Amino acid sequence: MRIVILPKENLAEFIGHLRSFGELHAPTKRGEKSLVFAPVSDLSEIELNYTRTILPLKKYFFKATDVMFNFCAEKGYELPVEEADKKYVIFGVHPCEIHGLKILDLVFGGKYVDTYYFARRSKVAIIGLDCIPDDLCFCRSTGTDFVDTGFDLFLSDIGDSYLVRVGTSLGDDMVRAADSLFRQVKKEDREAYKRNSVQRRDSFQAEIQLQDLPGIMDLEYESHVWEEVGEKCLSCGICSMVCPTCYCYSVFDELSLDGNTGQRKRIWDSCLFKDYALVAGGHNFRAQRSSRVKNRYFHKQRGFVSQYGRPSCVGCGRCKAYCPAGIDIVEVISKLRSEIRV
Amino acid sequence: MGKPKVGVYGLTGCAGDQLVILNCEEELLDIAGALDIKSFPMAMSGGDENCPLDIVFVDGTVVQPKDEEMLKNLRERAKLLIAIGTCAVWGGVAAMSNETPREELKNKVYGPAGQVFDTVVPQPLSSFVKVDLAISGCPIEKEQLLQAVASLLHGDLPRLPNYSVCTECKMSEYPCLLVEKGQLCLGPITVAGCKARCPSYGRPCIGCRGPVEEANVSSEVRLLREKGFTWVDIQNRLRTFAAPADCFEDKILKEGANA
Amino acid sequence: MSNHCSGVRPENPYLPHPARIIRTLPQIPDHQLFQIRFEKEQMAESFTYRPGQFVMLSVIGTGEAPFSISSSPTRPGNIELCVRRIGHVTDALFRLRPNALVGVRGPYGNGFPIEKLEGNNLLLVAGGLGMAPLRSLLWYALDNRSKFNNVTLMYGAKNPDDMLFKYELLNLIDRADVKCLLTVDTDESGIWKAHVGVVTTLFGHAEIDPSNTYAAICGPEIMFKFVLNELLKRNFPKDRILMSLERNMQCGVGKCGHCMVGYKYTCLDGPIFTYWDAINLPEMI
Repeated sequence: MRIVILPKENLAEFIGHLRSFGELHAPTKRGEKSLVFAPVSDLSEIELNYTRTILPLKKYFFKATDVMFNFCAEKGYELPVEEADKKYVIFGVHPCEIHGLKILDLVFGGKYVDTYYFARRSKVAIIGLDCIPDDLCFCRSTGTDFVDTGFDLFLSDIGDSYLVRVGTSLGDDMVRAADSLFRQVKKEDREAYKRNSVQRRDSFQAEIQLQDLPGIMDLEYESHVWEEVGEKCLSCGICSMVCPTCYCYSVFDELSLDGNTGQRKRIWDSCLFKDYALVAGGHNFRAQRSSRVKNRYFHKQRGFVSQYGRPSCVGCGRCKAYCPAGIDIVEVISKLRSEIRV
Repeated sequence: MGKPKVGVYGLTGCAGDQLVILNCEEELLDIAGALDIKSFPMAMSGGDENCPLDIVFVDGTVVQPKDEEMLKNLRERAKLLIAIGTCAVWGGVAAMSNETPREELKNKVYGPAGQVFDTVVPQPLSSFVKVDLAISGCPIEKEQLLQAVASLLHGDLPRLPNYSVCTECKMSEYPCLLVEKGQLCLGPITVAGCKARCPSYGRPCIGCRGPVEEANVSSEVRLLREKGFTWVDIQNRLRTFAAPADCFEDKILKEGANA
Repeated sequence: MSNHCSGVRPENPYLPHPARIIRTLPQIPDHQLFQIRFEKEQMAESFTYRPGQFVMLSVIGTGEAPFSISSSPTRPGNIELCVRRIGHVTDALFRLRPNALVGVRGPYGNGFPIEKLEGNNLLLVAGGLGMAPLRSLLWYALDNRSKFNNVTLMYGAKNPDDMLFKYELLNLIDRADVKCLLTVDTDESGIWKAHVGVVTTLFGHAEIDPSNTYAAICGPEIMFKFVLNELLKRNFPKDRILMSLERNMQCGVGKCGHCMVGYKYTCLDGPIFTYWDAINLPEMI
């Protein structure tokens, strides 16, 4: 992999260069404490030392609501007009986010390819940025604290510079377009990178043991922990909305006032909603909130492993950070493992 | 099928939901073209007050004996009765003090003037008649109303969101007022449809759309207590718009408060 | 930037193809058989599927829902869906008349493992609407009669007026190449000539050799448990008992998440599961 060094004093200028590769998006403030990925015009609007945004990057590719088709009574369903071929550069993407996208690539790919997702995926460049974990991050446990693919460029802070890994041909073009801003890697850069890597590794506070978790999940299928979490859970859907790997959606036809034309749309859904497993005729396969909570954990930590060989959790900590009821995945899993007495 | 025959009526209330229909300025001609509006006393005179109707939209709450009479008459006239607005769906603000005896309340609000009219304990329309569709909101959302009309024209009963305001709030990526600011926000237990309008202005959800199905009120009360809100504040907020809802029964609220 | 979309643009898997309702055949109250044909003649002729697979059917402007195919791929051209009027989409579907335009995509799901079934006896046990997917397998077997050993159908309905495909099935009773056992829970008509009693009573009228038989069961949950009991009593291997599951489906192609059972998608890994799958997957039955 090509690796170069970007001195921090050149970052602002480099960001200026990036704008010629597409509309620049980066983590920026919303409200007093929150952060979101949004369009930015220069470095001053970008929060470099952030931990997490409210929504993950999925919002760019798998939109909260999306038009799937136009329809009319005479012709049926037709593809909507394609979006303009606009390019985007998303700057400041953390490793767990990139892993989240790689998981969505698996889900939306395969035998049937979700054309909406991948059409947008091909228009977006990803510039990664490393981060310092806070007390909710457990991406080290999920093996998502580091990425070696899935980005065009990846910047790691090594003190007064960034060590920049070039992941794609497009990333290489970005570096070459601003060639004078970069320099070669020196011995002290390598040392600094390795030192920081150890420091970062040691700064994780939250941890879950995933290796044997599928087996524990099976064993604890009837655990009272699910009842307990079910009593707390508000079914508000926040954890699903903010999760980088929650991909459930539902589909509906929205009519115009003429009663004949309209659009088929899809909207983010959550397995915690009461109607999620409801079938026509009224039978609900998960009528109890506790069974829905269990299903969410089961799917992420057990089912996904069977399907794709890895859990679908990337350890970003959003589900805990934004849960109004304070449900903490690390605590739930510890309880299942009986590491916390309940 | 010809144009559906439609009536729009209001019981006791502010008529704000009927006003939403009139405020559909851009769509009003389309609506008027698609529906055969037989009667809409708030908007037009000379309506037909006796003909059978395909659809009747009713806002307001049963507060006076004549409301009940009118409602039952509308039910008999119409194939589909649609409750519009939180008053019609949940009782609304008229029902926020239902535990206080009626006479006492009347006296407190109107003094001696209250002697000239009769009131009953305000209840949602569904306590009196079968309601085919409930579109809540204070007032209702124009988009939901238009969607409902479009679906009805197509022959379907519209499907409304069955999840909470939080879901829409997060879809729009608004900062969480409960988690970040510790405000008394009812987003988790209030039914969506408003696209989290209040949180979009940094104001907490006050529950004006009424509770979402299976609202976990105990958990909401518990978390608000943990944030330091008083029992009285919580109770007042919860019972402002939908006090008659089962999930706001005293027993459930106390359970949450004591947990 | 992801390379997934380079080269040939993949087909949109969610696009419903225009199709027309050819005929609606009322069955029993609130149940109709819809004969449907793709608008594009080439598609109508080439559309093929396995018994047990399903399609996603759109009523334009109302929405989309999954329906198992009741016709057999041995009779190409029209596809037949036996539909119970039970919800949003089916309500709207029942309003449609012949020649109405609908959208269809599929076929989806695994279907019955035909290759494995061939050379064996087939035991089909249906209750109520469960006959819808099993009819496809039944006619597939009868149209490929030499590929199967004994074929037995056991079908139970509440009463004669509640029996789907009644005349079609009654006509099978006299055929030598299939044992067609029909039963009703109760008969007040007095003219019902076949069996009376729950479907499990039919087990007394058929010889079943569990060593070379595949059983396919489809019907309401309660029937399921009793039939399963009968089969297990006869030492039926658990992986030779096949069943069709129903779940909420919004996409049919393993994306929307709704049909997840344990760690399988009903739409991709099912809807046909073995009983062995079922006891290994939480919340399946």
